[in-house]
Amino acid sequence: MTSNPMHRRTVLGGAAALAAGFALAGCGDSGDSDGDAPRERKKGQKINLTFWSWVPGIDKPVDLWNRQNPEVQVKVEKVSAVNGEQYAKMHAAIKAGNPPDLGQIEFPVIPSFLLDNGLLDLAPLGAARHKDKFFGWQWQQSVFGKGIYAVPQASGPMGLFIRQDLFDKWGVQVPGTWDDYEAAARAIRKKGAWIETFAPTNGNRFSGLAWQAGAKWYGTHGDTWIVNIDDEPTRKVADYWESLVKQKLVKTIPDRQNAWYKDLQTGAIPAWVGASWGDALLVGNAPGTKGKWRAAPLPQWKAGGKVFANWGGSTTAVFAKASYPKDALDFAVWLNTDPRSIALLIDGGYGFPSAKKGYATTDLDVDKDFFGGQAYSKIFADAGAHVDTSWQWGPGVDTLYQRLGDAFTDALADGSSFRSVLKKVQGQTLADLKGKGLKVESGG
Amino acid sequence: MSRDTLSRAEPVTPKQRAPQRRQRRASRTEARNRRAAAGFVLPFLALFGLCFIAPIVYAVHQSLYKTERTGPLGLGGREHEAFAGLANYAHALSDDRFLTGFGRVLLFGAVQIPLMIVLATTLALLLESAGARGITFFRSAFFLPYGVPGVIASILWGFLYVPGISPLVKIADSIGWDVDFLSRGTVLWSIANIVTWQFTGYNMLVLIAQLKAVPGELYEAARIDGATAWQVARHIKLPLIRPALVLTCVFSIIGTLQLFAEPMVLRPLASSIDSGFTPNLHAYSEAFVGNNQHVAAAEAVLLALVACVLSFGFLRLVGGRAKERG
Repeated sequence: MTSNPMHRRTVLGGAAALAAGFALAGCGDSGDSDGDAPRERKKGQKINLTFWSWVPGIDKPVDLWNRQNPEVQVKVEKVSAVNGEQYAKMHAAIKAGNPPDLGQIEFPVIPSFLLDNGLLDLAPLGAARHKDKFFGWQWQQSVFGKGIYAVPQASGPMGLFIRQDLFDKWGVQVPGTWDDYEAAARAIRKKGAWIETFAPTNGNRFSGLAWQAGAKWYGTHGDTWIVNIDDEPTRKVADYWESLVKQKLVKTIPDRQNAWYKDLQTGAIPAWVGASWGDALLVGNAPGTKGKWRAAPLPQWKAGGKVFANWGGSTTAVFAKASYPKDALDFAVWLNTDPRSIALLIDGGYGFPSAKKGYATTDLDVDKDFFGGQAYSKIFADAGAHVDTSWQWGPGVDTLYQRLGDAFTDALADGSSFRSVLKKVQGQTLADLKGKGLKVESGG
Repeated sequence: MSRDTLSRAEPVTPKQRAPQRRQRRASRTEARNRRAAAGFVLPFLALFGLCFIAPIVYAVHQSLYKTERTGPLGLGGREHEAFAGLANYAHALSDDRFLTGFGRVLLFGAVQIPLMIVLATTLALLLESAGARGITFFRSAFFLPYGVPGVIASILWGFLYVPGISPLVKIADSIGWDVDFLSRGTVLWSIANIVTWQFTGYNMLVLIAQLKAVPGELYEAARIDGATAWQVARHIKLPLIRPALVLTCVFSIIGTLQLFAEPMVLRPLASSIDSGFTPNLHAYSEAFVGNNQHVAAAEAVLLALVACVLSFGFLRLVGGRAKERG
């Protein structure tokens, strides 16, 4: 980076490097969308579809499809899912006018792609007839206005993972409510460990916790977006975690990176508020703790309550420039509803199926031994059935997560209140959406 | 390498007093030479235009536009580009995080560049001193980190910084010294350490190359006059490697402003690094997280301007001083 002789040629700074990407992206920028109008495949015609995904083992169901459908060959191209790189690539491809036919897109970022006009509205193709094959709220995640923009694949109902052996040893009860959770945190701190980390940069989980508390960050009113990040339920969640942080009952290191994995391995952190897909993550990164973990329902705000939320979850979307949209839709529906496909996806560890049928909950207990024989998927199935389904995502969620991360980082450094974070991010998000040329109002 | 060697080359001009015929032939040869030269230069110019000039022009163009959206909720309608004047620049300059990033890299440069250049100069002088042993080995060893790509270097150092894994933290802990390489106060200097580790050897090599070009007679004369090794270094070597020192400083200034890979790689490990830690990181976040290419282009252009001003300002400063002295 520093002092490379090459840099003499780039005296004009970072512009060149950054702009090079834009130049490429700009080539197909100018209204060539009418050139390749969607086509209908003729009978017997062989076509190829490309599919960008990062889901482990996704190539297996695709191989199966390719064997069964010699005329519609799908080619998987793996994309990196680190720090949202896959979406950067997709946005760039849309701008350049050469996106793939299909892509893996998570629930929260669908609206961002709609701003690009990047996704194909599947409603004119009759996608609505598949609605009943999926859990309603997950289907709704990709419905905006009259448009249907993706086929849901998997969700991530939230839950609590705990090291049962350590909880037993320390005489700590599995927390049923958030008050219990705080008490458990205090007890565990006395034993020299930390119950958890509040990762300031993880806006994704924070939104899940706000969702559980009853927040509604986004909404629409006519053709105006309503943004409401600084609402009462979110304030409750912010106050709660701020209090844990200020009492030094939780760590504040980033999660899902080496130091955190190390803490999981050694038991320095014996719990994790995670989601259904977290089983594979624990198995992969703390293999030495096999048999000692259990899953429990997400702590509740009211004792005996059954209010859950979702963290993660994704869809198979068809890009607006797909040349054979009908075949792409057929593939997307097959991939996410065919029992054999679901079985292969479960093996790969893709999350909790969005399809209602085609598998048994016990099929999802892939890592039963790791959880000491517990049928842990039941916990998540139960959570999935009680997710507050009115939650809606809005455009620019990737930026929102970044704003939250930056603001929480600042707050941890200068000791300012978490409420000030919400106030700041609310203002920034309004400005961001206005900057994108959208009509937006504050919901507060 | 230096300006001296370039200015020493004298232009070859055809002699005026030759007979006319010879002159005509000469001019024909000249034309042919010119064509040949054009043939050699053209591939460079083509690539230079395509990979350097065109992207800059495009970035400047992008920075003057914005995206406008229509349709209900901004969805489904056609988006189109509209001229925005300097609005993107105003937006960038009113973004605290972007400006803080600038302050951060300036602070970084003010501390790290002098440190690295002094270190590189010291190593170069030591390796070129009369009593040095194992020169080839040490020269290669100091230069080696430069061969490690910045991203890899950051991953390696990341392992040495992360608590729970780092042997350094463990050792510090065992002697009761509580260190956190990734905290808000220290992370910038942890990055400075990576950069210094990586580029000191490279700068050292540039300085050594210049030292090698110092004529041996000067040392001989100094020895006859009874100069000590310190005096030789202070009064002969340092003044003569001045052009190389200026060069390494300018490269370092530009490199510092472009700081990107190290904070980008360390970011998942350290929540103290925000999305606008350096101006380049901020532009990246705008472009690839926020999908605001226009604002990112404006930020990149601003960054380029600052790099220009600082580099040429530095050259002016040292150039002016040389004249005063000379």
